[in-house]
Amino acid sequence: MPDLDANLQAPARLKLMTMLTAVSEAEFATLRDRLDVSDSVLSKHIAALASSDYVKSRKGVHIGRRTTWISLTAHGRAALNAHVAAMREIIASVVEES
Amino acid sequence: MLSNMENMMGAPTPDDAAAALNDAEVSRTQLTDGLMLPSFFYISIGAAVTAQIATAAVGLAVRANWAQWLLIAGLAAFALVAALQLIRFRRRNGVWVGGLAGRVVLGTATTSSLSYALALGAAVWAGFEDLWWLLAICSLAGGVAYTLSGRRWLRIYRQDPATHGRGESAWQLAGLGAVALIGMVFLVIGR
Repeated sequence: MPDLDANLQAPARLKLMTMLTAVSEAEFATLRDRLDVSDSVLSKHIAALASSDYVKSRKGVHIGRRTTWISLTAHGRAALNAHVAAMREIIASVVEES
Repeated sequence: MLSNMENMMGAPTPDDAAAALNDAEVSRTQLTDGLMLPSFFYISIGAAVTAQIATAAVGLAVRANWAQWLLIAGLAAFALVAALQLIRFRRRNGVWVGGLAGRVVLGTATTSSLSYALALGAAVWAGFEDLWWLLAICSLAGGVAYTLSGRRWLRIYRQDPATHGRGESAWQLAGLGAVALIGMVFLVIGR
């Protein structure tokens, strides 16, 4: 069984990390709206990912209001790549069996 | 709303894994496809580059104080347009895309930097030869090529955002900007 990253098994976290690969950083509200989750749910996911050094956040200003900008770390990018590769192995194993 | 899989720590079935990967990729595609450029983005960048090449060429070819000021004004106008459009992009989309800043606006893509160097070189030569009509054409060609290179980058980015999104770091861009500025100062001093 390939090694899956327990931190990334929640679909919302996988989506969040995958979206962050496309940008240098994203504003909290943008991610919340794209993921269609509440502020508190997104905050929890970000806190969990930040504690594993997968993402980092910084305070900033967006359209005149204080907000938080989130970006992927190099460690997070590597972890995501490894997790996606492990998931592809799981998918491929079924194809090989059939 | 979170799905049941949020709390599932065991290995997903192949179908779950395929669905999760597909959902994640769809989310990323929707994010990148939904990015909107500010109004007059390409035309303003192209016009600013055209003006910058023309003023730089005149500033280098003409030995007069006003020509030096024209060169500085061209650089300042480009910096202002670039900064404004990047700020507008970030405000509109709630994201910062380093690749857009570097490759499209600041011209670090191979095609835009090559076309810019060629256009500037040709425009400066035309200025020294008093061929002002040719200087204008070279400047315009440089601006158009720069813009087309930017459009091309955006297409490539949308096909593979993970590879092209980050671009150069802020430090690398600052370093390149400093080198370009120093080079221009030496050209002005040494003319």
